[in-house]
Amino acid sequence: MPSLAVSRSAEEPLTPQKRRLRSNSTAAPETPFSSPTKRKSPRRCLDSTPSSHSTRNDSIEPISNSSKSPAEELSEDFSEILNWNPRDASQVSAVKEALHVSTAPPTIVCREEEQRRVFDFCRACVEKEQSGSLYVCGCPGTGKSLSMEKVSNKLIEWARDGGFDPPEVLSINCTALTSSSQIFGKIVENGYVKVKGTAAPLQHLQNLYSQKQQSSSSLIIADELDYLITKDRAVLHDLFMLTTLPFSRCILIGIANAIDLADRFLPKLQSLNCKPLVVTYRAYSKDQIIRILQERLMVLPHVVFHPQALELCARKVAAASGDMRKALSVCRSAVEVLEAEVRESTIRLRSNSSLNDLLNPLQVKIDHMAAALSKAFRTPVIDTIQSLPQHQQIILCSAVKFFRGGKKDTIVGELNKSYVETCKSRMIPPVGISEFLSMCRVLNDQGLVKLGQSRGDDKLKRVTLTVDEADINFALQGVRFFRTCLQ
Amino acid sequence: MAVQNHARDAQNLLRSRLCNPSFVFKALSGSPDSNYSKLKFILSSSVTEACNNSLLLLGPRGSGKTAVLELVLNDLLEEYPDMISVIRLNGLLHNDDNCAFKEISRQLCVEHHLLFSKMASFDDNSQFLIAMLRECGLAHKTIVFVLEEFDLFAQGKQRLLYSLLDAMQSITSQAAVIGISCRLDADQLLEKRVRSRFSHRKLLFLPPSTEIIERLLQHILLLPMDSTLPNDYATQFNTKLESVLADERFKEILKNYLSSSSTINHLLRFLFVAVSSIDVKSGYPSLDNFKTALSSFRRQPKQECIKDCSILELYILACIRRLESKEQKSYNFNSVMKEYKSIHDQFQTSDDYARNVCLRAFERLLQRDLICFSDNRGQGQSVEFRPVKCLISHFELQEGIKAYRSCPVSCFLHYGFCYSGISLLAGVS
Repeated sequence: MPSLAVSRSAEEPLTPQKRRLRSNSTAAPETPFSSPTKRKSPRRCLDSTPSSHSTRNDSIEPISNSSKSPAEELSEDFSEILNWNPRDASQVSAVKEALHVSTAPPTIVCREEEQRRVFDFCRACVEKEQSGSLYVCGCPGTGKSLSMEKVSNKLIEWARDGGFDPPEVLSINCTALTSSSQIFGKIVENGYVKVKGTAAPLQHLQNLYSQKQQSSSSLIIADELDYLITKDRAVLHDLFMLTTLPFSRCILIGIANAIDLADRFLPKLQSLNCKPLVVTYRAYSKDQIIRILQERLMVLPHVVFHPQALELCARKVAAASGDMRKALSVCRSAVEVLEAEVRESTIRLRSNSSLNDLLNPLQVKIDHMAAALSKAFRTPVIDTIQSLPQHQQIILCSAVKFFRGGKKDTIVGELNKSYVETCKSRMIPPVGISEFLSMCRVLNDQGLVKLGQSRGDDKLKRVTLTVDEADINFALQGVRFFRTCLQ
Repeated sequence: MAVQNHARDAQNLLRSRLCNPSFVFKALSGSPDSNYSKLKFILSSSVTEACNNSLLLLGPRGSGKTAVLELVLNDLLEEYPDMISVIRLNGLLHNDDNCAFKEISRQLCVEHHLLFSKMASFDDNSQFLIAMLRECGLAHKTIVFVLEEFDLFAQGKQRLLYSLLDAMQSITSQAAVIGISCRLDADQLLEKRVRSRFSHRKLLFLPPSTEIIERLLQHILLLPMDSTLPNDYATQFNTKLESVLADERFKEILKNYLSSSSTINHLLRFLFVAVSSIDVKSGYPSLDNFKTALSSFRRQPKQECIKDCSILELYILACIRRLESKEQKSYNFNSVMKEYKSIHDQFQTSDDYARNVCLRAFERLLQRDLICFSDNRGQGQSVEFRPVKCLISHFELQEGIKAYRSCPVSCFLHYGFCYSGISLLAGVS
């Protein structure tokens, strides 16, 4: 592919350099929970606020309500020179990297309130040399693990500055444990305590915490806490009870998805009056998603996304799940859609004039975003049904007709009869029973139909439709043959 | 004589092509919006730009998902040697999390010439995986995880999927996860945590359209000019083949064949039988090869059995059908004989056989697997008392009787009186 070859040769000198920087750096320099209006460079920020766009696109209204300042209007002339060129592969990869999930942003916007609460709680515990437990909950992709990292770093900094002993931070992901009681072993081996003798880790910790005063506090962040839930909930109880022991100084933060985990699984703690503090991370709203995306795109010197495209993406994702990962992934695939379009037009038109670019600045517009959204949210069922071979479509139609009478499942033999009737009514020769069975198996493999088990005859297997009747109707409505079939 | 040798060589060449999936799918890799180019674009951007990607390949069995992936991986390994390592897991073999992690560690050890210890625990293996990901990220090597039968990994606690996808979220690792599955809703089977970490890229492998099929046929079946076969033979072969492919009847045959299953694998099997039935004496392909192939796939074994049955056996089958139509769920030889006698009393036909002759015919039907015992419990009893069930469907039996070479009209009539709705009398020729 010619375009890919070009991009590779152009990138060879660039990428090693870029990667070296990436791998050597740890997280970007810490800034506290600052408000997002703090900018790095005036020119860069002015180019990427939603209100500034190329003067050619006059028909678009800006999203933000702030009016343009004279400085911004002046810089719009500069924005023509700094138009994003999607034909330049390094710029495209810079955009994609800014939008990648693994790129941790220097500031975490829209989560200041929650982070402040957690930080205050931990700070109070360290100051008073007490223990405490906290439960962070929320849907996936709402920034829980990310903010906990930031909070722990901030806590260590604060403790160092304030003259306190910085707490030992232990971050465990509970999916990596083979058995749930291993978590105590991890706490023991990773912390400052040494295992004396052959005491089990849990007993050791309990003894430790009830006997002598600890030298410094420890911060335990347990991610995916619901993996620790066993039938008798013993491990979870014991873990949270560690914070209730008289001399313990550990701060326990548990992260999970279920909002009522604390109520459902830790009733004993309520009686001991030490229920964990619950911090809920709500799913992102549309405005929050837009803000976060803009924050990420601020590192780029160009305007990459059309403001309405960002808004469309945010609206759709917020309505579906409020998951930030999904929003980032959709934006990245929109960039790829634009890339593909640019590549195709280059191949076709062979025109690469920069004047052309100035007149029509190439940004990710609404149609690219709509294509990316449909790819992300659409199930492949309709496409697959439309591209099935004819006899398999007839099987689905006859199943729909058969199950319309209220029955929900039947055996293969009955379905075969219905299939043969449908074929006969349409003057198509039906296939034999062995081929019918293999077609049913193919449909079962694809998940359109579910075949049960049967010890004896194949014809006695139970079969049900797993696809909605409406989907089949919608997929096959274009074909006159099936329209009359499904009446 | 020479023509026969050439024909045999040509057959061997074509058959070896048909059995080589990378040759077949190379034909489809040309166009820019084929699955091959999309997959290659995603993977190469993952390698060059060091961004982590995950995607799913979905499609019915035999549509070429693994073949296209292997093609892409081979091309990438040629373009970027030493920058990619591939780990392959299969949901049928490595379903269990412990087993999967052990297999990953073993393959990583083999790739990087390390010693693998079978005694390593699950914890050690997962630590090793994370460490290797970090090391390869620093060394700018991409690890590509290929998970076949992806829907089987989604059973249970999905720990493997979670660990892999979570590791891809960190900035230090450089990996790509490719899941291959034939279930369309494979990503709905994932837990919501895992689904959130999985990017929603899906590549659908749909059955090929007619243009693609034509392109495939030309790519596979036309002999190359630079092979060991002489040029004039090859040109003659190709002209004959092209005239067959352009024939309307051939298109009908192909459409008929593909109407029950239209994956590429299915098409290749058809072509294999067609190529194998090329007549070496004439040396060139003809339309009849494809007709033979179609009929060999459309065989109805039970219907062919009917052709070899005697009239008495057909009578017995018709009696069994009558019993079934009277909603009699279980029947044995005695009830069949009663029905047989009742027909003869009713219609006074000339085909009246004695009981032991009928028993012989009954046993022959059992041997030929047209009927069988409904359970294995009554081993001690004699054949006359054990319940049987019929293994051939009504439709097949009907077709078989219609196609029978010299079926007496009475048998036809008796069969026709089973179902009041069917008027076989009208079809008596």
